[in-house]
Amino acid sequence: MSTIDTVSPTGSGSLPAWVTSRWVQAALVVAVLLAGFALVKGQGSFPELPEALQVAPFLDRVYEWVVTHRNTSPLFLYGFNYLSVGLGSAVILINLVLTWLTWPGVVVAGVFTAWRVAGPRVAAFALLTFATFGLLGLWTEAMTTLALLITSVLLALLVGIPLGVVAGRSDRFDRAIRPVLNFLQIMPAFAYLMPMLLLFGIGNPAAAVATTVYAFPPAVRITSLAIRGVDPGAVEAAVSLGSTRWQTLTKVQLPLARRTIMLGVNQVIMLAVSMVVIASVIGAGGLGDAIYQALNKVNVGRAFEAGLAIVFLAIALDRVTAAAGRERNVPGPDRTGRLPVAAAGVAATAAAAVLARLLGVPDWPREWTVSIAGPVNALNAAVQDLVGGLTSALGTLTLDWVLDPLRAVLTDSPWWLVVLAAAALGAVLEGWRTAVVAGLSLLVIGVLGVWDLSMDTLSQVLVAALLTTVVGIAVGIAAARSTVLSRVLRPVLDAMQTLPPFVYLIPAVALFGTGRVPALAAAVIFALPPVIRLVENGIRGVSPAAVEAAVSQGSTRFQLLTKVQLPLARASLRLAVNQGIMMVLAMVVIGALVGAGALGYGVVFGLGQNLLGLGLTSGLAIVCLGVLLDRLTQGAARREG
Amino acid sequence: MSTATGIGRPLRTAALVLALLLTVASCAVRTTSMLRDPNTVRIALNGWVGYEASAVVIEYLLEEELGYQVTLVQIDEQPSWQALDQGALDVILENWGHEDLMELYGPGGNGTVVDGGPNGNIGQIGWYMPAYMAERYPDITTVDGLREHAEVFRTPESGDRGEFLSGAPGFLTQDQGMINHFDLDFTIVYAGSEAAEVTEVRNRYAKGEPVLFYFNEPHWLFTELDLVRVEFPEATPGCAADLSDVGCDYPRQELNKIYRAGFAEEGGPAFELIDAWQWTNEDQNAVARLLAYEGLDREEAAARWIEENPEVWRPWIPEGSGRR
Repeated sequence: MSTIDTVSPTGSGSLPAWVTSRWVQAALVVAVLLAGFALVKGQGSFPELPEALQVAPFLDRVYEWVVTHRNTSPLFLYGFNYLSVGLGSAVILINLVLTWLTWPGVVVAGVFTAWRVAGPRVAAFALLTFATFGLLGLWTEAMTTLALLITSVLLALLVGIPLGVVAGRSDRFDRAIRPVLNFLQIMPAFAYLMPMLLLFGIGNPAAAVATTVYAFPPAVRITSLAIRGVDPGAVEAAVSLGSTRWQTLTKVQLPLARRTIMLGVNQVIMLAVSMVVIASVIGAGGLGDAIYQALNKVNVGRAFEAGLAIVFLAIALDRVTAAAGRERNVPGPDRTGRLPVAAAGVAATAAAAVLARLLGVPDWPREWTVSIAGPVNALNAAVQDLVGGLTSALGTLTLDWVLDPLRAVLTDSPWWLVVLAAAALGAVLEGWRTAVVAGLSLLVIGVLGVWDLSMDTLSQVLVAALLTTVVGIAVGIAAARSTVLSRVLRPVLDAMQTLPPFVYLIPAVALFGTGRVPALAAAVIFALPPVIRLVENGIRGVSPAAVEAAVSQGSTRFQLLTKVQLPLARASLRLAVNQGIMMVLAMVVIGALVGAGALGYGVVFGLGQNLLGLGLTSGLAIVCLGVLLDRLTQGAARREG
Repeated sequence: MSTATGIGRPLRTAALVLALLLTVASCAVRTTSMLRDPNTVRIALNGWVGYEASAVVIEYLLEEELGYQVTLVQIDEQPSWQALDQGALDVILENWGHEDLMELYGPGGNGTVVDGGPNGNIGQIGWYMPAYMAERYPDITTVDGLREHAEVFRTPESGDRGEFLSGAPGFLTQDQGMINHFDLDFTIVYAGSEAAEVTEVRNRYAKGEPVLFYFNEPHWLFTELDLVRVEFPEATPGCAADLSDVGCDYPRQELNKIYRAGFAEEGGPAFELIDAWQWTNEDQNAVARLLAYEGLDREEAAARWIEENPEVWRPWIPEGSGRR
C-alpha cells in the first residue's frame, strides 16, 4: 500500500486537490441552477424584446428587399450576381463536359488519372467507384455532385492558396487571419446555408459558395505552414543570387512546399465532399439530394445506395489526393516521358468517348443497373422486427428520463440563472475571460429571440457529448492497451472519418425512426472516431519511463491508468472532449432533417417557409453555442498544451 | 529607362482599373442569365408523395418519349418559387395556392413566373383522425367536441396539451392560427416529413390509438385507412390572411402548375407536354400508392401506370415529337 502513496506524487502531486476543488465548484454551479429551476419552474424563458428591437422581423424585411431587388439593385447586378451566375454556369458547364465525355470517357479519364497519380490499387478502386455510380443507377447524380465539387474545390484553392502564401510570408497577416480561420472552422455547416441562400440564390451557386467557405481554411493554414517549412537556406541562396520576391516564390518556395500543399488540397476536398452533400438542403442536386429525398420518405434502402456512392467517392478522392502529396509511388517515365503518357491518357479518353457514341451508349444503360434498395429495406425491416422493440424502448427511455428533464431544466430555469451558470462554469474551468465570453454568447442567443430552441439544442448536445466522451475514452483506453484492437480499429476509424456527416443519419433513422433520439445516436457515432484517436494517442504518448517507474513500484493496471496514464495524457483528453463536443453540435443540428427539432429545425423551417429571420437567427445561435462550448472545453487544453 | 517604368506603371494600372470598371459597368448580371442545358428539364419536387407521383410520370414521359434529361430537386414549396424566380428550376407541377407569391413573382410583380393552369387535381388540406375516434366520441369531429376532448390526444412529445401531428416543417399550414382562434388546447408536433407522419399514423391506427393530424387529399392513404375530417367553418376569401388567427378551414382548391416565365416563352416539346398534362385525383393516387405503399422504384411505378393507361397520357405527347 505504501508503495502507491509514493507513486501518486510522482504523477501529479497537486492534481487530486486541483480536480476536486474545480469539480466541487462546477458541481456547486449546477446545484444552484437546479435549485433555481425547482424554485421558479416554468417562467424562465428569455423575455420577448419590444418589436422595434427584435432581430428576426428586421431580417425578414431584409429578405423581402433582397427578393424584390435581386435583379434590379446594383449591389446584386454588379456584385453578388457575378459570383452566383459565374459559379452556377461553371457547374452546368462542367456537367455538360462530363456528359459530353460520355460515361466510358469519364471512367477512362478518372481511372487513368488515379493510376498515374496513385498507382494501380487506387486506380482499381476508382474503377469500382465508377461502377458503383453506374450500377446503382446514380450516374447522373454522381456527375452533378462531381461538377459541384470541382467548381467549389477550384474556387477554394483559388482563394486559399494565395492567402496561405501571403500568410506564409507575413507574420502580421498570419496573426490577423488565424482567428478568422478558427471561427470558420468551429462554425457548423448548417449555420452557413441561410446567408448563402440570401446572397447567392437557391441551388448550385449558393451551394458552391457555402462549400468554398466551409472548405478553404485548411488550404490557407497548410500553405502557410508549407511556405514557412521551406529550408531557409534555399530561400537565402535564391535571394543572394539576385532572385526577385516573385522568382523566389515561384521557383523555390512553392516547388519545395508542393507536397505539403497537396495535403491541404486533400483536406479541402474532404471538407468539400461533406458540405456538397449537406447543400442539398438549399437545392443543390446530385447524390446529396438523392439522400435527402430518401430520408424524406424514410426509405432507408435508397438512402443507403446514395450513401454508398458518396462513401466510395469520398474514399477514392482521398486516396488519389493523399497519394499526390506523397513521394511518387508509380514507377514511370521521368520528366521528359510524362508528356507522351499524359497524351496517351487523353487519347484513350477521347477514343472511349467516340466509341461510346458510335455504339450508342453515351448514357449508362438502364439495363445495367441493380437496385439494392429492396434487399436493404428488407434487411432493415428484419432488424427492426428483431430489435425494433428494444430500440424504441431505449428511445422512449432516453426521451423521458434524460432529454426531456434536461431540456426542462434549461428552458424552465430563469434565463439569467442559466447565463450566470454558464459564466460561472467558464470562470471555474478557465478563468474570467471565458466567463465573459460564455455569458455573452448565451445573452446574444436570448437577444436573437431563439432562447427556447437553443436550450433544446443544448440539451441534446450535452447528452450526446457525455455519451461520446464516456464511450470514446473507454474505447480509446482499450485501444491504447491492446495492439490487436488498435489495429482492427484503425481502418474503421479511417473510413468513418472520410464519411460526410449526412450519411450517419441513415443507419440512425433505420434503427430509431425519426425524432431527437436518432439525431443523438448519429451525433455520437459521428463524433466518436476523433475522440477515440486522441485518447489512444494521448495514452500511448505517455513517456515509457513514467509507466515503467509506476509498474516497477507495483502499481496494478488500474492504478497505472488512473494515477499515471490518464493524468499525464490530460491535454489529449481535453482536446478529445473539445473535438467531440464540436462535432456533436454540428451533427445534432443536421438532425433536424430527421425530426430532431430545435435550432436545426429553425434553419430548416426558415428555409422552407421563407423566414429568413428565423433561419438566420437560428444559424447565429448555433454559432454562439459553438463559441460557448468551444471556449468552455478548449481553453485549458491550449493553456496546458 | 527607370523613369519610363516609373511613370508607365501607375498609368498602366489606372488604365487597367478603368477598363475593368467599364466592363463591369457595361454588363449588369441578372440571375436569369445563368447558363442552362437546353436538354435538361428541372422540376421542383415538393415533399409529399402525391406530388412525387405527378413528377415521376412526367419525368418518365420526358425521358422515354421525348429524350430529355430530367432533374428532380427536393425543395420546399416557397423556395421552389424562388428557384423559378432565379432561373434555377423550370416548373412546379402541383401548386397549392400561394397567391402572395404569385403577386411577388408573377406578371404583376417580378414577372419571372407564370400560372400554368390547373393540373386536374383537386386539393383539400384539413385536420383528420381515424374513424374509430368518431365512434368513441361522437361529437369529436366538431370544433366544440375537439376542444372538449383535447386531452385524449396527449403524448409524451406534446406534454399536457393534446398533440396535433404535422408533417414536414416546410408545408403550407395555418394550424397554429386555427388553434389560437378556436381556443384549442393543442401543440403542433412535426414528424419531420410526410412519410414519417404517415408511418406514425399507420402505427397508431394499427393499435387503435388516438391521433389527430394534418393531412391532405388527394392521398393514397385514404384507400387503406378509414379517416374522418374535423369540421371547421368553411373557408372564405381572405379568412386566413392573418396566420396567427385563422377562423376557418383550409380551402378546397384547384391545384395548378407554375412555370418559369422563360420556360414557357421558349416553348419546345418538354413545355408542350407539361402544358398538356392533366389528370385526376384517382390517377395520382394510383401512382402514389405504387410508390409509397407497394414501395416500387420511381421508374417502375411510372412505367407500370404508363403501360396501363395509354389513353390518359397519349394526348399529352406533342404532335410529331414522339420518340426522338
